[in-house]
Amino acid sequence: MLKDISIGRYYDAESTLHRMDPRVKLILFAVYMTGVFMISKPEGILASFIVVLGLVVLSRIPFRVIIRSVRPIIFLMLFVFVINLLTMRDGRTILRFWIVRITDYGLERASVMTLRLFLLIVSTTLLLSLTTTPLKMADGLESLFAPLKKIRVPVHEMAMMMSIALRFIPTLVEETDKIMKAQASRGAEYDTGNIFVRAKGYASVLVPLFVSAFKRAEELAIAMEARCYRGGEGRTKLNPLKMRTSDYLWLVLLGIIAFVPVIVEILLEIG
Amino acid sequence: MNQGTTDHTETKTISDLDGPETIVNARSVRYVYSLPEGRKIHALTDVSFSVTRGEYVAVIGRNGSGKSTLAKLINVLEVPESGHVVVFGIQTDDDNHFWDIRKRCGMVFQNPDNQIVGTSVEEDVAFGPENLGIDSSEIRLRVDRALSYVGLSDLAKRAPSSLSGGQKQKLAIAGILAMMPEILILDESTAMLDPISRNEFLLLIERLRRDHGMTVFHITHDMTEAGRTDRILVMNKGVIVMDDKPSRIFLRQAELVDLGLDVPIYVRLAFSICRRLGLECREEYLTSLDAAVDAVSHMLITHAPRLQDPKLISDNRQVLQLTSHPSEDIGTVFHQDEPAQVDQDRMNTSILIEVSHLSHAYEERTGNAISDVSFEVRRGEILSVIGHSGSGKTTLISHLNGIVRPQSGSVLVRSASGDRVYDTKRNSDVRQIRKTVGLLFQYPEHQLFEETVEKDIAFGPRKLGLDPDSIPNRVRRAIDLVGLDETILERSPFELSGGQKRRVALAGVIASDPDVLILDEPAAGLDPVGRRAVFEYINELKKIGKTIIIVSHNMDEAALYSDRILVLSNGQLQCINSPEALFSDMPEIERIGLDLPEIVRLMLAFKNALDINVNPVVFDLESATEELIRAASALRDMQTPEPDGGAHA
Repeated sequence: MLKDISIGRYYDAESTLHRMDPRVKLILFAVYMTGVFMISKPEGILASFIVVLGLVVLSRIPFRVIIRSVRPIIFLMLFVFVINLLTMRDGRTILRFWIVRITDYGLERASVMTLRLFLLIVSTTLLLSLTTTPLKMADGLESLFAPLKKIRVPVHEMAMMMSIALRFIPTLVEETDKIMKAQASRGAEYDTGNIFVRAKGYASVLVPLFVSAFKRAEELAIAMEARCYRGGEGRTKLNPLKMRTSDYLWLVLLGIIAFVPVIVEILLEIG
Repeated sequence: MNQGTTDHTETKTISDLDGPETIVNARSVRYVYSLPEGRKIHALTDVSFSVTRGEYVAVIGRNGSGKSTLAKLINVLEVPESGHVVVFGIQTDDDNHFWDIRKRCGMVFQNPDNQIVGTSVEEDVAFGPENLGIDSSEIRLRVDRALSYVGLSDLAKRAPSSLSGGQKQKLAIAGILAMMPEILILDESTAMLDPISRNEFLLLIERLRRDHGMTVFHITHDMTEAGRTDRILVMNKGVIVMDDKPSRIFLRQAELVDLGLDVPIYVRLAFSICRRLGLECREEYLTSLDAAVDAVSHMLITHAPRLQDPKLISDNRQVLQLTSHPSEDIGTVFHQDEPAQVDQDRMNTSILIEVSHLSHAYEERTGNAISDVSFEVRRGEILSVIGHSGSGKTTLISHLNGIVRPQSGSVLVRSASGDRVYDTKRNSDVRQIRKTVGLLFQYPEHQLFEETVEKDIAFGPRKLGLDPDSIPNRVRRAIDLVGLDETILERSPFELSGGQKRRVALAGVIASDPDVLILDEPAAGLDPVGRRAVFEYINELKKIGKTIIIVSHNMDEAALYSDRILVLSNGQLQCINSPEALFSDMPEIERIGLDLPEIVRLMLAFKNALDINVNPVVFDLESATEELIRAASALRDMQTPEPDGGAHA
């Protein structure tokens, strides 16, 4: 169950998206996301889908891997769909029973919202987690936000924290699994009983998990110090980020394509 | 400051005169740290020593003896409260230069996971050089070289979390090699490794010394490991109590035992035989295992009493009986598939857990973690489950109390009274099964979470729905069984020592009064005294009628304490048998690729050296001593005794 979490799950492959500079991907992601939030018509959504499909092809990642990364949020998507469906009052009624009234406009809104969420997740996993190693991502963020260092924002430290957090996710997931099994063999139950019983069950997992996380953090800090870590000042990189010509080209090309759905909508609006 | 500079020149002159350069020099070092509640702990009091370039030094001592603090003083993770530590001629409390020391010292810690920073293997190796501000192209070179040196080149792009413990420690070494240090500090780096990875790790260290002349500090509580070094510092309560080469340290065996430390088995046997023969054990016998075997064999041949000695003859018989007994067993135990000829009813009630044709795969593509395993657990026995890392031991035991359900095959558990049989496949049975079978995973101290020890121990019994009125009594009985005082009940589990925490965790399982207790590596990471204590209460538990299943890496302990041993390899049950029968069957041992207990290997070495019929299948020191004396006496009886041990010819 816990193994399905896809944050930080890099999928190793040789592809255009994998090779692309992380900064390009981050910018493209921002552009695409803005686009997704601006569109509201089925045509725009359709266009966005085509863009995402193009990205899938560029990434050379098998479909099932992408589907797997969406699986954990299916519940959230259903939730968004149902809430939107039930709360939207405008439009023509297409179904009515008891106090529930479903309208055609509600159905459209609910679908658009849910699909937006879906696109958001897929593009995040595609552009970021599946094709970019956490370290590259941290490097990319550090480099993009470097100007903020001037106003004393600890950009390097934040990037380091992020990459360490990503490094420890699998370790902590494994540990959670171990602790849950250990407590279960003492009789702890997480899926039965009322809410208090369950909360107690989770405490038996969370407390040891936190205690160990703190201990790990302390030991890691000492280990880092022993390896001469003293902040970002004077640090070099094994693989420093370098923008190649192809990166600039992709940035421009995909930047425009990512905005195509919005253009489609604007054209429809005018037309 | 002034003093610092004089020190510097002093060291220089000495090294110029005497050849080997002093690389670390500590004088009258005192180190005190304060706990949050204001209590002060004297980690080191008046410690002085110096180390020359290229030395291989072990620092040994019980937990809390100050050995880790000592290590941290060298690479300036700590600075002494008073006294001085000078490394590479630089005083460690010189704020301007401590980075110069630290970048020339590499340190590997105990927990493999908590020292890996990088999100991939090569990124982690690069972390140190990156901190030193080295050029990217040079870092690339160093990373590749370091990874190939430790043999991890193929895994360069992998995520560290996918490595085994042994691989992680090698990765840590690579990360340090890439910084090209002159001193390597190993802070209990082998404590969490299985015997195979441990040996590989030590071989790597020894190779590093040969190739790079690295100075190595190895902090450990394993005397056998310490015996592989040039020199041992023995620490006790913040003081260096011995500082000598290994053989001379081993000679002071009695003192070591008083300090709660162990000596290698060959040393113990040499002492035991000398004592038995009324001879003095000398240092030259203890320089290595081979030296000990040679010297002791010689001694046995010249001094072993003749068999006519009535006391000895009776001893012999005992030994012979002990060893002849198990072979009768082989037939009945070994051929499990044949229908048992024993009375069916009696068999059934004496069997508590019945595993048949059990297979389990975590993911389809990784293949079976265990496949087609069948065996029975008998009432009142101690059963050891043995196998290398990744052989499926943990998967197997997780099935026995229904934490993991069978994918195919079945696990049946018999209730205490013997009248009901529960199936781990049935949901409604799981609670009963957990009451009957208690399971404690490796490093169980990590599962403590309540505010007080009492509540934590009561957690299990309460969750399993046992009578609430009986719980306070159960808690007290359990805490007593694991050898702790009742005053501990009111304390928070988080303020206890590591060993105490582990006992509390065990008490938490015992309190539910299960019939079967499964312990996954119960002694992992403990020092010798802690290890012995664990096996003491395991014996206690056996006495009160518990059935115990132990997962272990340690062949000597498994052989000594268990009634039967189950061997797993690649997820398959290789055999299940009594230790005597198992280790008597050499062809079978070879087929499985099983390691022999150290004591058996030692006895085989004696058998070769003496060139006579010695029964090597003994698991404790007394039997080994008596068997050797018996064999040597028999030999002496057969030949005309010659004054100078002519039996060699």
